[in-house]
Amino acid sequence: MTTPHVTESDLALYVSGDLGFWRGIRVHLHVDRCQSCRRIAEAYRHDRGQIRELTDELPEGLDWNRLAPEMTANIRVGLAAGECVAPRHRKPVAMVWRPAAAVAGLVILVTGAWWLNVPAAQTQELGRAIHAVWSGRSGAGVRRGVMEERGPVVEATSSGIELRENGSSLGVSQGASRPLAVSVSVQGSASARYVDSDTGQITITSVYAQ
Amino acid sequence: MRHKWAVMLLAGAVAAGAQTLTRKIDLPPDSPVTLVSADWGESSATARGGAFLLDVHAGLSLRNSSQRRIRGVTLSVLAQEVTPGGKGSVSIPSMDVAPGDTFPVRIDLPLLRPLGAGTGPLVEVKLDGVLFDDLSFYGPDKLQSRRTMTVWELEARRDRQYFKKILEQAGREALQNEMLVSLARQADRPQPGVQMVRGRATNLDPEHEVQFAFLQLPDAPVEPMDGLARIAGNEARAPRVEVRNRSDRAIRHLEIGWIVKDQQGREFLAASMPADVNLAPGRSGQVMQDAALRFPERPSIESMTGFVSNVEFVDGSYWIPSRLALEDPKLRGVIAPSPEEQRLAQIYHKKGLAALVEELKKF
Repeated sequence: MTTPHVTESDLALYVSGDLGFWRGIRVHLHVDRCQSCRRIAEAYRHDRGQIRELTDELPEGLDWNRLAPEMTANIRVGLAAGECVAPRHRKPVAMVWRPAAAVAGLVILVTGAWWLNVPAAQTQELGRAIHAVWSGRSGAGVRRGVMEERGPVVEATSSGIELRENGSSLGVSQGASRPLAVSVSVQGSASARYVDSDTGQITITSVYAQ
Repeated sequence: MRHKWAVMLLAGAVAAGAQTLTRKIDLPPDSPVTLVSADWGESSATARGGAFLLDVHAGLSLRNSSQRRIRGVTLSVLAQEVTPGGKGSVSIPSMDVAPGDTFPVRIDLPLLRPLGAGTGPLVEVKLDGVLFDDLSFYGPDKLQSRRTMTVWELEARRDRQYFKKILEQAGREALQNEMLVSLARQADRPQPGVQMVRGRATNLDPEHEVQFAFLQLPDAPVEPMDGLARIAGNEARAPRVEVRNRSDRAIRHLEIGWIVKDQQGREFLAASMPADVNLAPGRSGQVMQDAALRFPERPSIESMTGFVSNVEFVDGSYWIPSRLALEDPKLRGVIAPSPEEQRLAQIYHKKGLAALVEELKKF
């Protein structure tokens, strides 16, 4: 029974170390036993050594300093020509819906939490501040004529009384009825006077800032 | 299926902020009023930020369990006594409740309570005071309801007397005219918005001092002599008034009405300045308040007028302006009628002249 020889291309790859791991072992075992294949492999190894020696020597009269800018220039010309012939198109970004959905959920959560917890007046104040920063105006300019309350504020209007603090407001009303009169005391309270249309009874409701 | 879960989660999140309003009505064992029934139907408690927003809507029915007629009642409604917005009150002036009779009290108040403020009921209703027809008083009086209700009662007696006298001397038609004038005056009375903050508010407009002018009511026991406030745009702050006791009795409390005129010449009652004082007969003193008033609907303040609106003497008696004094054109246009005059005008408006005459005959 004769062992089939290894092909020349496999022998060439074996010599250059480019065969796969298992295939390299198989060729190595064959070459050890087969004289003719070993000769061919030796010939390839010899040729390979000669080629390496030749390539290690630069051609005579080569001026590397002149060659380098020429090569650079050629590369640039090549790139410019390529741009003219076929303009490059950016690869479109793939639609990444999962991160988008996560961000949307986060936005809904933050908006919901803000709506539930932050008073509307504070939101408006923040909006005014952002607008001031965006338009480049100073804070003092925006606040001119608009007092920034320090401590609770009691307010009386023809529609009722209200206590406000830190942007939150507590309004007093008795259904749809408007007060007969409202009053403010500088000691820190506001009162509204209502009349019951059925009984005629007067009720005076007061809120206290202190 | 996913939508159902989302809706349930959202509903759960909203429901997590709501809580049952726990409440307590605390009347002392010897209270002259007793609780007959309480309906808290529409009341609610909602967590907002770091506090509970309590929306108190209650209808109480109380009974006069004393032997005297009740003229006024004040209830304090507390969520947290020391928190701004944690305290309110409901007063009923101009009553005439006989012993054993019941009367309704309507409470509509929003209150604030910090989330970690104890484990007791979220809202507590207490009796602050009861005023009887002999001007005697029962109650802890933490809100100075004794003084307030006594002034209302004295004003009520003055005005009932005034209208009864018109009825007796000039007849039903004159009383009717008087009621029509009162209703017209109430409708025409300016009531612009007023904001009040204790301490200094931050208006960046330049400040200047403005002197008070004073209305000298002829029989007033206190004479306002000099006064000023610091004005910046539509804000007035730090009012200061020099007063002199021109009566022969010592004074322990007085109240000054503060009228403001804007640049367009419109006048309105801005606020009242109550002050505890210790004024011996003939002595002077100063009334000052660390507070600021702002008038959002008015561009700027032109001038200010002050008048003495009531006085409490050390002996427990009171002075209030007479009907004649209130006829001053400046006062007439800006101050609100007494609660009793408003009640009588409403009776005339809703039920007619005959009902008003019957009401005046009651006491």
